[in-house]
Amino acid sequence: MPRAAGRPALTLEAQERRFALALLGPALAVLLLTTTAPLVYLAWNSLHRLDLAMPWLSGFAGFGNFGKMGGDPRFWNSLLLTGIYTGSTVVLQVGLGLSLALLVLQIPRGQGVLRIAAILPIVLAPVVVGLFWRTLVLAPDFGLVDIVTRALGLGSHNWLGDPQLALISVIAIHTWQWTPFAFLVLLATLATLPPDVYEAARLDRAGAWQRFRHITLPLIRPAVVMVVILRTMTALSAFAAIFAATGGGPGSATEILNLYAYRTSFTELNLGYGASLAVVLMSITLAVSYLMFRLRRARR
Amino acid sequence: MNGSRPLRRIALALVAGSGLAVWAFPVLWGLLTSFKTERDVLAYPPVLVFTPTLDNYREVIFGASSIVPNLWSSFVVATAATLLTMLLAVPAGYALGRLRYPAKRASGFYVLATQMLPPVGLIIPYYLVLQKVGGLDTYGGLTVIYLTFSLPFAIWLLVSYFEDVPLEMEEAALLDRAGRLRTLWYVILPQVRGGIAVTTIFVFLNAWNEFMFAVVLGGNRVRPVTVAMFNFISVEQTQWARLAAGAMLAMAPVILIGIFAQRHIVKGLTVGAVKGGGRR
Amino acid sequence: MTGPGGVRLEGVVKRHGATTVLHGVDLAIEPGEFFVLLGPSGSGKTTTLRILAGLESVSAGRVLMDGADVTLQQPGERDVAMVFQSYALYPHMTVAQNIGFPLKMVRTARHDIERAVSAAAIKVGIGHLLQRTPGQLSGGQQQRCALARAIVRQPRLFLLDEPLSNLDAKLRLETRLELHRLQRSLGVTTVYVTHDQEEAMTLADRIAVFIDGRIVQVGTPREVYARPRTITVAGFIGTPPMNLIPGRWEGDAVIVGDERMPVATAGGPRAVMLGVRPGDLRIAERGLAAVVERIEDLGDSSILSFSAGDRLLKQKSDRLPAVREGETVRLDFAPETAHLFDPQSGGRL
Repeated sequence: MPRAAGRPALTLEAQERRFALALLGPALAVLLLTTTAPLVYLAWNSLHRLDLAMPWLSGFAGFGNFGKMGGDPRFWNSLLLTGIYTGSTVVLQVGLGLSLALLVLQIPRGQGVLRIAAILPIVLAPVVVGLFWRTLVLAPDFGLVDIVTRALGLGSHNWLGDPQLALISVIAIHTWQWTPFAFLVLLATLATLPPDVYEAARLDRAGAWQRFRHITLPLIRPAVVMVVILRTMTALSAFAAIFAATGGGPGSATEILNLYAYRTSFTELNLGYGASLAVVLMSITLAVSYLMFRLRRARR
Repeated sequence: MNGSRPLRRIALALVAGSGLAVWAFPVLWGLLTSFKTERDVLAYPPVLVFTPTLDNYREVIFGASSIVPNLWSSFVVATAATLLTMLLAVPAGYALGRLRYPAKRASGFYVLATQMLPPVGLIIPYYLVLQKVGGLDTYGGLTVIYLTFSLPFAIWLLVSYFEDVPLEMEEAALLDRAGRLRTLWYVILPQVRGGIAVTTIFVFLNAWNEFMFAVVLGGNRVRPVTVAMFNFISVEQTQWARLAAGAMLAMAPVILIGIFAQRHIVKGLTVGAVKGGGRR
Repeated sequence: MTGPGGVRLEGVVKRHGATTVLHGVDLAIEPGEFFVLLGPSGSGKTTTLRILAGLESVSAGRVLMDGADVTLQQPGERDVAMVFQSYALYPHMTVAQNIGFPLKMVRTARHDIERAVSAAAIKVGIGHLLQRTPGQLSGGQQQRCALARAIVRQPRLFLLDEPLSNLDAKLRLETRLELHRLQRSLGVTTVYVTHDQEEAMTLADRIAVFIDGRIVQVGTPREVYARPRTITVAGFIGTPPMNLIPGRWEGDAVIVGDERMPVATAGGPRAVMLGVRPGDLRIAERGLAAVVERIEDLGDSSILSFSAGDRLLKQKSDRLPAVREGETVRLDFAPETAHLFDPQSGGRL
């Protein structure tokens, strides 16, 4: 063991430790204060009846809120919608992004312009995107989509007012905004793949599809996995775009769990129940991210 | 194979072109709409040739429904949040990325975990607490709350940039009698300048575009542009053209940053995606 | 005992969790000496160097410089300069700023910094590159820049961690010579780490051979070459490595198989490992039976490989012997050139 001099001389490691904690301390303190403490409070609230619309009913409720959830059809609906929404947007984003990246890789000149175009959806505020689509793209009669469908003879539809179409519409909006992310990341990853592996494969007479399956896919797997994880997290907590486009409606047609919790808390002012819904969403998010990171590690 | 080369090129160009169209068109359509009168907007078939008018912009900047105060709110909150975040995140990222201390892995996981929290989980306790302490509708309150998503993300992005600096840099500087703090300032920080710039851009973008926290925890005094968008939509009518103008104005800073810092952003996305978690 | 610039390590032990990297290292380095730490990878030589620099702490033992105990002193306080294997140049600063950095850190006047920087740069031959950045320099120039940064503040101890390993072969030989000249002109105590025994032999005043975290032998290059203390040291120094043949020492000869090979000292009877350097092996009338496996003609010298029984022996000669591959010959050696080792411990007898 190093001979502690007691006085001035700190060992190198001790000095490094002290410095590190001094640097990390403030940020950690802020994080604890702004994320962990509120979560504890959230959990506390979820165990209460806290209804601002009917304040006389407030009080400790134990797990009553969670019990209520089990028999709440709107809850199960929101869970289902969350699953559909998250699953389809992520799959679409990765599929479209990858396909586009593979195609664009072969046009060196088009890449610059396409990259600028791809940046635009990503930097826009999701709420503005939602409003854009609601007003200028999906509005019946003079929205972009309607103009196109009418020109193609498919008629005009209430893209956001029809319960069936609304879900498809919000999925389309989310996919529109975030596919460029997958596209840009995968394009950059594909550009770094070593060309000599492909040349060797060509010499081994591997066809285009085989080259893709056996060389490209495994090599870009880490990037794809990371994109999937990130996009899943975003999809689970998607709020602004849906809120702007449909507000969760019509009815509950696009009310993913996130939105249900919000509406319950701030529209219906039932904060206790809303808190419990948020707790459930949080648990799902943590579980999913844990699983995904585990998968990521296992694959390595 | 060779004969279909030009055909293939055309097909690829078409696909790329449609990608471009799909992504750029809505924004361009919005831009176009912002110069139309309300009547022209509602016309069908759509009017491509029309007399442009600046009325919408005039109204949105100088008129009764001016969003200039909202632009100011956005600017103050986003800038303050970005500054505060970077001040905290840069040292933290350095410590996590390069220094040795007890419970390092645990603290790394913690930072990662805080990134994964859906905002709706935080907004309920925030609303209740801020209401009690009178922090609703204040710049301070909103700025601090914005830290919840900015700080973990910034730390995580910065860690990967710090890790890229060769390990012996510190040792060489320490031997050159620089001491820990001067080593960080003179030797390490200059080498992560690019990473800091990219992180700052992302943090600012995220803060500018934030909606949920802004709408719940803001109010009449502090109302960022993202919330002000709804001024143009009411039960009776939607002011299409004004909304377009307002949105263009609101998104102008962000779009400009996007176009000019495009390379940085793409690099940041790739770094963030391949090496660790991220919010966007 | 040790004057200004003298360095001592007393009983230095370094543990990393459960593994012990250094088992009680003792070393005394004279002022102005060019001292080389030689050994294979993982032998602890680099760890020892870093302990001298203060970049690693010790688990037990002391480090003394100029008689003072510096074991717990921070790297910056020891007045030690180091050239890293990767050079560790500051990529965002010019060559001049890199070299001047240590002086800037002790708040030297700007005018003095400029003078010292250009003097150091000229001394290592990069005086004309002061405004470039490390990214614009070749490997050899980068190395010189690292050297200049180390010597500019005239440290009392100069540490080098395999500084030539990133250079190509020709540059390595040239730089070796210059390094030696530089050290001599500066007169600074230098500790140099390498795994290349040829480098060690040509540069060192004295060598410490490290094997598995222990110093196995300390001596001048000649001593280490001519009287290696263990089989491992014997096998490590010299190319091609020493031939090792098991046999039985009886009286004034060693019996190998059926042959009686005379040696200079008498001893035994005991089992023994006979060591003969390739340069001392000769083709003769009588001696060990061997089959010529391979002849490598290097132009000015030749290396022959023989198989004797299940052993592979190598001979180095400055002529091309008149034999052919596949031929059976007899090998012997001058008795006084034989080395005798204990087969169990590996120690010299």
